[in-house]
Amino acid sequence: MRLSFNRSKILIVVIGILLILSLNFFQREVKNFFYCISFPIQKVLWRAGDRTSDFFEIIVEIKKLKTENEKLKLKIQELLSENTELKELKRENEDLRKALEIDLKKDFKLILADVSGKDALEDFVLINKGSKEGILKGFPVMTSQRTLLGKIDEVYENFSRIILISNKNSSFNAKIITADDGVLGVVHGEGNFRVIFDLIPREAKVKEGSSVVTTGFEGIFPEGILVGEIKKIEKNDVAPFQKAKVEPAFNIKELNAVFIISDF
Amino acid sequence: MRKILIIAVLFYILILLQTSFLVHFNIFGHVPNFILFLVIVLSISETPTPKFGVGAGVWGAVFGGFFLDIFSSGPIGFQILIYTAISISVRLILKKYLWINILKTKE
Repeated sequence: MRLSFNRSKILIVVIGILLILSLNFFQREVKNFFYCISFPIQKVLWRAGDRTSDFFEIIVEIKKLKTENEKLKLKIQELLSENTELKELKRENEDLRKALEIDLKKDFKLILADVSGKDALEDFVLINKGSKEGILKGFPVMTSQRTLLGKIDEVYENFSRIILISNKNSSFNAKIITADDGVLGVVHGEGNFRVIFDLIPREAKVKEGSSVVTTGFEGIFPEGILVGEIKKIEKNDVAPFQKAKVEPAFNIKELNAVFIISDF
Repeated sequence: MRKILIIAVLFYILILLQTSFLVHFNIFGHVPNFILFLVIVLSISETPTPKFGVGAGVWGAVFGGFFLDIFSSGPIGFQILIYTAISISVRLILKKYLWINILKTKE
């Protein structure tokens, strides 16, 4: 009797394991099904989390706001003067383009999508547009502020997964904007929304606070999309290259809508 | 059966909270893993000899692992395996060092 009970128990476990393993053959369909039924709840939870964390952040950071306000006022003054300078340069640029009769303006073809959730373990984000909307693997993704978020990693029928630039498997060419030509290097993710700018030549002079933009060399990302800001430079006498920590330009907490670039 | 269904729904709600709500409250870049916490709590709180041979801890591990697999990039079954192993380990440790003493004291 005892033997038959154990046998049936083992049989149930084996059937269970086989059932779970067989789900891997229909992984896309199974995941798409769960994403479909979860999306409305996830959307509500995502927004609720966003608002709640904003509320707590305001309470915590209320003291810092005053000093930050002073700094921002100064920054506005700086930016205003810079803006005037840039307007002048833009006008000059337009005049030159007209003179050359070349239209270099190239708009991206964009697809708008809503963020529904974050991967439970890694730096991935789930969005509510999939192969039905013409999304393909490898499409670049940016925020509404035209800052780089990542690229499409997995496409389901109604959903897609974005691999963030901070993911450990993400790396691409980028450059630091400097007064000269710009410093080229490679941006790679370190997980937990941390990004590193690597392979900076030893002799290159890089300042903290400089902006990092895409180069578009590999053809994955369009050129000139903002990646982030240099936070800390790590220079070692022995190492042949410099490294820098980059503060990504996107804020995961403020992500609600993203733009998928379908053509550039 | 009712207990299993409650556990499944509970873990589904928890994974939705973990992937959509708690993402905004990360501590030093890490989102608290409530699935793991609940699996351990269920494994500890279940009786030494549960009905039908499998307790709430193992069921929690199976459902928690399954939903983690669904909402992560890995293959289906990987997290189930890890969480079931954790639940069984907790049960074995308790059985060896705690429950046996309680049973002896009762005798």
